[in-house]
Amino acid sequence: MLDIRGLSLSLGEFSLDGVDLTVADGEYFIILGPTGAGKTILLETIAGIYAPDSGTISLDGREITRTDPKDRGIGMVYQDYMLFPHLTVGENIGFGLRQQKIEPDRIKERVSETANLLGIGHLLDRTPLTLSGGEQQRAAIARALVLRPRVLLLDEPLSALDAVTRDRLRRELKAVHRAMGTTIVHITHHFEDIFALADRVAVMQDGMIVQAGTPDEVFRQPATEFVAAFTGMENIFPGISRVRGSEAAIDLGAITLRTVTAVEGDVYAGIRPEEVIVSREAFESSAVNAFSGTVVEVQQNGIFSRVVVDAGVPFVAVLTRQSIARLGLAEGEPAHVTFKASAVHVFSR
Amino acid sequence: MPPNRDALPRPSAFKALFLAVLFGLVAYMVVVIVGLVVYPPLPALIESLTSPEILFAIKLSLITSAISTTLCVVAAVPVAYSLARFSFPGRRLINSIFNIPLALPPLVAGVALLIFYGPSTFGRMLSATGLDVIYTPLGIIVAQFFVNLPYMVRVARSAFETINPRYEHVARTLGCTEWGAFRQVSLPLARSGIVAGLVITWSKSIGEFGAVLMLAGATQMKTETLPIALFLNMSTGDLDLAIAASVILIVISVASLAVFERYSGGRGVF
Repeated sequence: MLDIRGLSLSLGEFSLDGVDLTVADGEYFIILGPTGAGKTILLETIAGIYAPDSGTISLDGREITRTDPKDRGIGMVYQDYMLFPHLTVGENIGFGLRQQKIEPDRIKERVSETANLLGIGHLLDRTPLTLSGGEQQRAAIARALVLRPRVLLLDEPLSALDAVTRDRLRRELKAVHRAMGTTIVHITHHFEDIFALADRVAVMQDGMIVQAGTPDEVFRQPATEFVAAFTGMENIFPGISRVRGSEAAIDLGAITLRTVTAVEGDVYAGIRPEEVIVSREAFESSAVNAFSGTVVEVQQNGIFSRVVVDAGVPFVAVLTRQSIARLGLAEGEPAHVTFKASAVHVFSR
Repeated sequence: MPPNRDALPRPSAFKALFLAVLFGLVAYMVVVIVGLVVYPPLPALIESLTSPEILFAIKLSLITSAISTTLCVVAAVPVAYSLARFSFPGRRLINSIFNIPLALPPLVAGVALLIFYGPSTFGRMLSATGLDVIYTPLGIIVAQFFVNLPYMVRVARSAFETINPRYEHVARTLGCTEWGAFRQVSLPLARSGIVAGLVITWSKSIGEFGAVLMLAGATQMKTETLPIALFLNMSTGDLDLAIAASVILIVISVASLAVFERYSGGRGVF
């Protein structure tokens, strides 16, 4: 168990301000937050690159706040890979093992074992700069994993990759986590990562952890307005996805959404509030998702207001004050919600 | 079709004038330098090049410059790394102090060294131990080191500055000590920059005149490096030997410039 108590550090423009965090053994823990929130220096402090001004870090009950990074058993992977350009991919992956003076044959064996796990076994003799971004990130993950770290820290490991590669590597990360059971702390600003990977999630802002919990808790009950605004998707529903041809039906229990996705099984469906159209009457349109329900909440809030329509599940929509007045929306009134298939985002859970 | 800047029917007066200045000056520089090399008849040049005095000067220059360059590299690496990586009070000021010898006329540096190793308390203590710097070959090394260290520091610092510190961070999480991360990661990555600095430092120390003249003197066959040989033979009117020393210095300069350009990757020293 990784236990962080009251961790503070001031480092020029970035700082940590009393960070408390507990990550259980084998947990996939995601830290979400905007650029400049101090996420990277939190990881670097956990890894031992920086010594905190105050606070403690313990791993498995042993305090490691002042332990040398090499003795912590914590691996680190950066967004921009940081593969040593003067070494081959194989030498990069074997770098940590060589520090332990392990015999070359054994190093070779473990390097190819880990490389094969990540599907880069055929690239060991290449130099890092001849690899694609996805391959480089796999090599960087392999370099950390080959030492069997007690905790693996991933600093935005998917952010520098194109969408297709990102999706594939995200699935591989999940598989690796399952296979090795390594405790992972992963920083991201993509909420897709959370639904695909996280057991628990913490939201970080201005050097502080503002909320921590399961993805469901954080998205459903954002503790602060910041979390709500940052997570953005207020309409998040667990369901079961069934793909038929190019279309998919997401069974939410009370209602079924239609969308286009290849993700099957247990999923979350997310719809941004801006994409939900509220009307008094049902209407003919190209949008395939249309449900009738009752307005349960109208929250006036500046130019835009939040309207919640219960149509089996509660849909949050964002409307202008004028639209609410024009439609005469009020609590208890009947209403319809409509949104396009493409507005439904699906994440496996 | 996009306009092609080379496709003008006739160069404009502007372009013609600027290019004329450029090519005129290049021709001037080449003619001046090549002119010196081809001035003496070839047999006379070869005879001068193999004269005992020039051979001595070559040997002394090679030995002193090799030692002073080695010392420069050994000293400059920790200095350059500290300036590139660590933050400490007075960092900017210290950086400027390391650049003073670049701006200082070498003659002035030489006089300062002469005072320091001569009549100063330190100088008297040093000569009491039998270590004489003034007017000795050791003085040549001391002078070359003092004047050329800043060049090495500048090139090495820019080499370290281009290396992302995260390489070392990763190395340390992989089991390296700070020393290990430096030796196995930063130093190899800075290698070409350090080689470039080494070459320019060596070339400058071979050619160093002013500071060497002041501190080590100009004693024939004792502290006679190539530039000193050039100076001594020029002042006694022995033009052939002076030109022979010049030719060697030209060859060394051109060769080391080529190596520097090859390794520095466009990083400037000046």
